[in-house]
Amino acid sequence: MNTPPAFSFLVCLRLLLAVLPLPGQNLLKHDHQLSSPLTSNLRLKEGLWLLDNNIDPYTGGSFHHSPLLLSVFSTIVPPLPIIWAISDAVGAWALLRIWRARQGLLSQKGTRSNVENLITSVYLLNPYLLLPSLALSTSTFENTLILLALMFASQGKVSSALLAIAFAVHLTPSSILLLLPIFMVLVSSPVSHLASPRPFHGNLKRIPFLFGEFTLYWLVLVGAACIITGGSWSWVRASWGATLTLPDLTPNPGPWWYFFTEMFDHFRPFFLMVFSVLRSTLSYTYYPICIKFQHDPLYAAFLLTGVLGTFKAYLTLADPGLFLSMISIFPEVHGYLRHPIITTLLHLHAALLLPLQHVLWVSEGRGNANFYYAASLVMGMAGGAGLVDACWAGMRIAVGMQKRLRKM
Amino acid sequence: MRRASVWIFLAYLCTPSFALYREEIYKEDLRIQSLRDGRVSTTFSFVTVLEGASPRNPKALGQRDESQHYALFPLTLGQILREYAITELHLTLNAGKWNYDNWGHPHEAEVGTGAELWAWMGASEVTTVDERWSGLRNALSGLFCASLGSLDSRRTLSPTVAFPLSGSTPTFSPHELRHASLPSENVCTENLTPFLKLLPCKSHAGLAALLNPQKVFDADWHGMGIHVIWKEDTGIELKLSLQAVFNPVRTSPGKRRDWNLQSLFDRSIERSCPVASSSAITVVLPEGKDHKITPENPAHVDGLAIYDLSSSSNFTIPSNIAMYWPSEHSFQYPLPPLTPITPLSVKRTIHGTTQTRGVLSVSVTNNSPQEISVGYLEMMPALITLWMHTLKVKINSQIRSDLLSELKYHPPSPQSNDRFSPSMLQAVLTIPPNATLKISMEVNKAFLKYTEHPPDAMRGWDLPGAVFFPLSQSSHNTSSSYDWERIYTPALLVDLPTPDFSMPYNVIILSCTLMTLIFGSIFNLLTRKWVVMEIQE
Repeated sequence: MNTPPAFSFLVCLRLLLAVLPLPGQNLLKHDHQLSSPLTSNLRLKEGLWLLDNNIDPYTGGSFHHSPLLLSVFSTIVPPLPIIWAISDAVGAWALLRIWRARQGLLSQKGTRSNVENLITSVYLLNPYLLLPSLALSTSTFENTLILLALMFASQGKVSSALLAIAFAVHLTPSSILLLLPIFMVLVSSPVSHLASPRPFHGNLKRIPFLFGEFTLYWLVLVGAACIITGGSWSWVRASWGATLTLPDLTPNPGPWWYFFTEMFDHFRPFFLMVFSVLRSTLSYTYYPICIKFQHDPLYAAFLLTGVLGTFKAYLTLADPGLFLSMISIFPEVHGYLRHPIITTLLHLHAALLLPLQHVLWVSEGRGNANFYYAASLVMGMAGGAGLVDACWAGMRIAVGMQKRLRKM
Repeated sequence: MRRASVWIFLAYLCTPSFALYREEIYKEDLRIQSLRDGRVSTTFSFVTVLEGASPRNPKALGQRDESQHYALFPLTLGQILREYAITELHLTLNAGKWNYDNWGHPHEAEVGTGAELWAWMGASEVTTVDERWSGLRNALSGLFCASLGSLDSRRTLSPTVAFPLSGSTPTFSPHELRHASLPSENVCTENLTPFLKLLPCKSHAGLAALLNPQKVFDADWHGMGIHVIWKEDTGIELKLSLQAVFNPVRTSPGKRRDWNLQSLFDRSIERSCPVASSSAITVVLPEGKDHKITPENPAHVDGLAIYDLSSSSNFTIPSNIAMYWPSEHSFQYPLPPLTPITPLSVKRTIHGTTQTRGVLSVSVTNNSPQEISVGYLEMMPALITLWMHTLKVKINSQIRSDLLSELKYHPPSPQSNDRFSPSMLQAVLTIPPNATLKISMEVNKAFLKYTEHPPDAMRGWDLPGAVFFPLSQSSHNTSSSYDWERIYTPALLVDLPTPDFSMPYNVIILSCTLMTLIFGSIFNLLTRKWVVMEIQE
């Protein structure tokens, strides 16, 4: 396929970053904003060491990665930085293809290369995505899988899309939020209908079959994971259970960790349930978003990445990063964002405050945990503001169009 | 004195049933040694032997136990041992860091800082080993007024290689070890009082009369130990020991290292304990001729001066034993560099500038001209995660992974109520002659819930010291005639990142506000109906 010039250039640059020995990479690896206990490279390496020494990595309570990652990195390739660079490149490529599918462009025609340059740069140069990737956090793979699932879905490739989302759900169970929008994209089309809302058209009867196929892939992956771990189920509790029971209270930019650090012991199970329910299946934004944006399921998927990027249990900057980078493939809504400047400033504020307060608290010993918590609240505000922006714009655009139509 | 003996004899006559089949022997001993840095090491040991007795078979725990009659053996301890069917028990309560380099190996090997408890128990279907372990530590914490109850599953491990059975192995069932240590435990008078109560003469007579809490707990290093060992040919042996390292240079006005019993303990022995079959004070005579010891005519054996105090001997109790250096005006500390007395010197630290991670580094120096193989045991509470993939073994900053062998690592294992047992790292180190082996690995410090922090959270957490132990001769014939039991490194203090302790309500309120704010805005948007209004002008 032909790619915009920026793509090749930036991918080369990214590969170079992976190969060159960077100063301070060790600091990045330990940074709590860039990798959570669930995605940390240090823990991945520890898991590989334990596996090499015939110790079950999941007993110790410090390893939460999926067995699939463990087997890939222990048998196929060692965890080299170049793999993260390639994953980034694939992610950018997938984002580009989603955009083309949405615009109805055929891949041969290399028109509008300015927008494509922008999309690639926004993905590959987004610090929220680049830094976690340099820190070798496995959230890079999760993002790439989500983008691949959306790409295959918008190209109408059913099996590939379902396999990709099954992988993503296996790595992070909370990405199951994206399942319904992906089904909807598969049975309708990814083309933008934001400006002309209409009831959902598409064959709803196919959805049960799609769900069946997804379940099949997912079960195969679960089975594979069980075989890898030698028939034991301890990995389920250690990797998936971690997002539900929050055993590790390492700080992250999300709202969960301090809430449960400060929670009274006897209320902990109750609030864990409340938070999980809020975030996942019965999430207050899940069905409403899918219903409201039934005319444009890809946009619904985009909004749900925003929900994930704000409310994940173990949030890293890569999660809001995916949401922010995906804005670039919806150029039609850019003019209608509600308060883009405030959102940008909130993100800037959070991005500067988080590392600062973290260092002050943990390294310098001059601040305390409340300062970092305040910064994570700002991060939550920024995520929420971004979500409101995108939601507003997605609906406001229709009104603008109606008005213009009426005037004609 | 003679009247006491008569009473004891009469007492023996009155309890014929018991005296017939079970002999009890009580021996006491005090060993005093001047150290090269001017300090004085004193070791009391009080041994009671129940001849012919054997530990309770745990399989018979459901049945009625035989009645317990003891004349000298402490009943309170005997009841605990029978109740939980303990085969071997070791409890030590120590304060301070034992300075191996200057003081040599201690007379009693267990000098780990804080409380350390380990017990060997037979397995049984009646009650599990863990249930009995829990009962044992609660019973002992009641008996010795120590916080042994907190030696729960978060601190319990089973390092069988480093802590083998000291006595014989009973044949009735396979045996299991439970070991736990609490480095933050303080040792004080309240522990000494119950300790003295276990002695047949309490502190009224015999060597125990010297144990003056005000002096013992003023010592630079002090600790007590309770050891119950079963030996097949003798029986159950209870050894109560108390070690203290005094510093006469610090306490004497002239900065002299002279000592005498009166100055060390501020007490003297008025009478000997009538039931003791042997009672002796052994003074290890320092090298050189410039010291004097009074009274002068004790039995000299291999540089030891032995004073027999037992009632059977015709030796009169010396009112005071003193050692002095007449030609020395004031004590001069030996000038550095000092060569360590022990063949092995160990240093262990955690360094790093942040509260979230650090590097655990252990350096082991072999001071002898022979190669030494030594076992290395690390028992780390789960709040510290060892990153095993960062383990490095170096000599002179050269990686020498071949010197660390037989590596066994048990990550923390989950216990009931979401707690984790400590992680255990065990390896064999081979240290070349006159070389320093450096082991380093990165560690992570956990972020704990605010309820899990102790009331003085800013003080930090005490981590137990590492243990170096000799390898059994059969498996490693490289180890020389160098005879020792165990080396404990000092406890470490780590500061963990702390949350704010006054914030629970604020955090609940602020976090929930954020949630509702986002929810409210999105709900508002999604449920709003959008209509275009024409405004008539």
